[in-house]
Amino acid sequence: MFKKNQSTATAYLFLAPFLISTLVFFVYAFGRAIYYSFTDFNLFNVPHLIGLKPYADVLNDVLFRRALANTLIFAVTVTTLQTILSLLMAVALNNKIRGMGFFRSAWYMPSITSSVVITLIFLWLFQRRGVANYVITQFQMYQPFILAFVGILVVAQIAQVLFERSRQLPAGWFDPALAAISALLAIAAIVVLSFTGVLQVREVPAFDFQYFADVWLSIGGVQVLSIPLLVIIIQNTFTTIPTLMLFFLAGLQNIPGSLYEAADIDGATPFEKLMNVTVPMLRPVTFYVITVGLIGTMQMFDQVAVIGDAAPQSTLITLAYYVYINTFKAGTAPVNMAAAGAIILAMIILVMVFIQRKFFPSEASV
Amino acid sequence: MTALSARQPAKAGKGEEWLARRRWAKAGWLYLFMIVMSFFFLGPFLMGLLSSLKDNPNEYPPRLIIPQVTPEFIGKAYSLGVQGGGDGWNGGLKPGRSLTFDVTVAVPKDAPQTPPTIFLFPYQPTSLVALARQAQAKDYSTVKTEKTGETGDQRTYKVSIDYPALTQQTGEVVRAKLGVPTDKLTAILANGKAVDVTLDTPQAQAKQYDLNETQQVELIKSGEKYYLRGPVFERTPLEVDVERGQSIVASTLPPSDKQNFDRSFAYRNVTPGVLGYTFNNYRRAFNETTDPRSGISLFMRWVLNTFLYAFLRVVSAIVFCSLAGYALARLDFPGKNLIFLLGVLFVQMVPSQVNLVSNYVLLKQLGLLNLWGLWLNGLVAAGGVFLMKQFFEGMPKELEESASIDGAGPFTTFWKVMLPQAGPALIALSITQFQGAWNDFFWPLVLLRNQVNFVLTVGLSNFRSAYGGQGDYGLILAGAVLSAIPVIIVFVIFQRYFVDTGSDSAVKG
Repeated sequence: MFKKNQSTATAYLFLAPFLISTLVFFVYAFGRAIYYSFTDFNLFNVPHLIGLKPYADVLNDVLFRRALANTLIFAVTVTTLQTILSLLMAVALNNKIRGMGFFRSAWYMPSITSSVVITLIFLWLFQRRGVANYVITQFQMYQPFILAFVGILVVAQIAQVLFERSRQLPAGWFDPALAAISALLAIAAIVVLSFTGVLQVREVPAFDFQYFADVWLSIGGVQVLSIPLLVIIIQNTFTTIPTLMLFFLAGLQNIPGSLYEAADIDGATPFEKLMNVTVPMLRPVTFYVITVGLIGTMQMFDQVAVIGDAAPQSTLITLAYYVYINTFKAGTAPVNMAAAGAIILAMIILVMVFIQRKFFPSEASV
Repeated sequence: MTALSARQPAKAGKGEEWLARRRWAKAGWLYLFMIVMSFFFLGPFLMGLLSSLKDNPNEYPPRLIIPQVTPEFIGKAYSLGVQGGGDGWNGGLKPGRSLTFDVTVAVPKDAPQTPPTIFLFPYQPTSLVALARQAQAKDYSTVKTEKTGETGDQRTYKVSIDYPALTQQTGEVVRAKLGVPTDKLTAILANGKAVDVTLDTPQAQAKQYDLNETQQVELIKSGEKYYLRGPVFERTPLEVDVERGQSIVASTLPPSDKQNFDRSFAYRNVTPGVLGYTFNNYRRAFNETTDPRSGISLFMRWVLNTFLYAFLRVVSAIVFCSLAGYALARLDFPGKNLIFLLGVLFVQMVPSQVNLVSNYVLLKQLGLLNLWGLWLNGLVAAGGVFLMKQFFEGMPKELEESASIDGAGPFTTFWKVMLPQAGPALIALSITQFQGAWNDFFWPLVLLRNQVNFVLTVGLSNFRSAYGGQGDYGLILAGAVLSAIPVIIVFVIFQRYFVDTGSDSAVKG
């Protein structure tokens, strides 16, 4: 179209701002980080090469190992949870019903607000005397009601289904119309039972669990997951589900309806349809979602930095935060260790992406 | 079982009726599920929003009905604001005014029959920066309590708070701020003019050393002289104590705080006005983060900084990302694939923590540990280049060819033909960049080292740690709500573009 030389010059002219900023703030920075990771740099001295010692130091650092464990556990748990839950929600949402626009935008709210805002709100919700503990207390108080409701619902449903089947009607165990009647029945029964005083609110002490404390779930004496990290896992799953759900929704629209019709003819249950039609057809989207999820969760930083000293450091520290605190440690900062930690983090992410590209189809085109 | 018996006369349409019923029920369950999920996703925000209005967001058990949004109390807050400060919106206590406040106490027969002790208490804002000690309403006004009625074992008391003016002079009343303390008292008028303050009464002279710089005061302008009428108080904090056995059952405004087994009631402000009552935490976010040296509100600065940063990011992304994206999509040159692979894809995969040390050191050496350094650091977003490249690749070749036949060079083609077509992509790019900049936390935290330079995210996270770990959640929640509003507005306006560009926020930490 244009002359070759002129075209090359123009292209590089167009790319100049991008290339310059990438060279200065990425390539040069990346190179210097690698260089620092082999030196004794501490932000105030002239760096000298000392070989692999920073890497050995980092790997021997208890805090680093905790950060690595926390990061991996966080990344794997959140990626699994958010992928499964957003897939299920997308399937539920794939029905064409009125008001979908409202629901979509309402659900999208956690995804657009900043992680700092959401973390602060979660810190407040999960205080010792906070809303989360209050809801749990209420749940314990009303446990008799909830159990009675579920019990009556199940019994009514079974009775109805058996009755309908005795009349030769093809009623499934989860038939929605019968379930609605069962639910209404259960509510009516609960109202009657509570007025007659059979069901009463249980007297329970206020549940005041301290979430941001040094409490761990351990397996065989090894501290696996801390409660503060669990709260962050809940929070992060909460914020990412809506976005990922939209990817799945887009993918679902591309599945030909004839596949479901064929499955219907074969008499497949909804669960079989999900496992044998939906999941395989969504494979490219799923792999994209997993990649994006892993890259994002491996770099988790904001939540830890916001919570800061409100929770014991070892319960929440991640690799990204480890790099940050080592760079800005009071006094002489072990910047070489921070750089080494950052390089290790980058390597893990790149290896994960590489494995994903290598072994799974890469036609992810969302 | 009515629904079942109604179906009893079974006819030919039975099967269809059955299926239709099932469809309806299914839709019902689906809506129920969606509503429950909406509560799940919006719940934390709604709780945060409601509690940001409360006097005490940590109250336990948490209530959903809060006095701050009850019309009755908003009306009373307005009228108390008018009584105390002549301003139903901002409230406050000004010299020469008085107000009344009612308290009802239950005094059973066997309880001590003493009247409640009612007095004003000092209030010092405890915020990010130490403020100069402010004058206190309790030092300038008198509190009188009188019993106005008794029904059964309930007694009503009328509390009158009276704040006499410090001077008898008459003339124009002007608002001013006290200047730097010297041997004379000076004030700075609204127009920036500094004037000497005359203290013409013993009361005024007695109080002159209590008053600090930046204290808001009212002056009387009489001739060429300015007489001190008295300081202006934003708040009038009142405390009511009753004996054991007695209890407070009602008051004009509900108390902000109950202490001492519900026998001490604190009213943080009995002259709030509507803004000071319903939006107290929001007002505090702006007013109580004032930097004493410059007198500017830090929170306001953070908001402006964030807007500036987001604006700069959007503008530079529109210009540079579309140029680079166009070159990568449409121009043919050596090294194209390498640039795309390394500069766009690889960059997005490497965590930003890797570049933390180098970029921090580099920008520090350049003296750019501020907003400009932050902007420079993220000048051309790789994600934006990727987005624009994808978009230009999807545009028809004919556009360029016809431009080329007309003799247009590559730049003219880009500028006159391609860019005007890129409207939707540019909007999507702007939104992602705006949202990204607004919510950015890691780089601002690393690079911004001075409170005045903070952006909202960094400032808010400082709110959390600035109160000794306990957390002033009134301020935190108000700040969080305020800082979420702009993105929500952008989201509501440009909803459909978010759907296309969500990949960016999915990666957020």
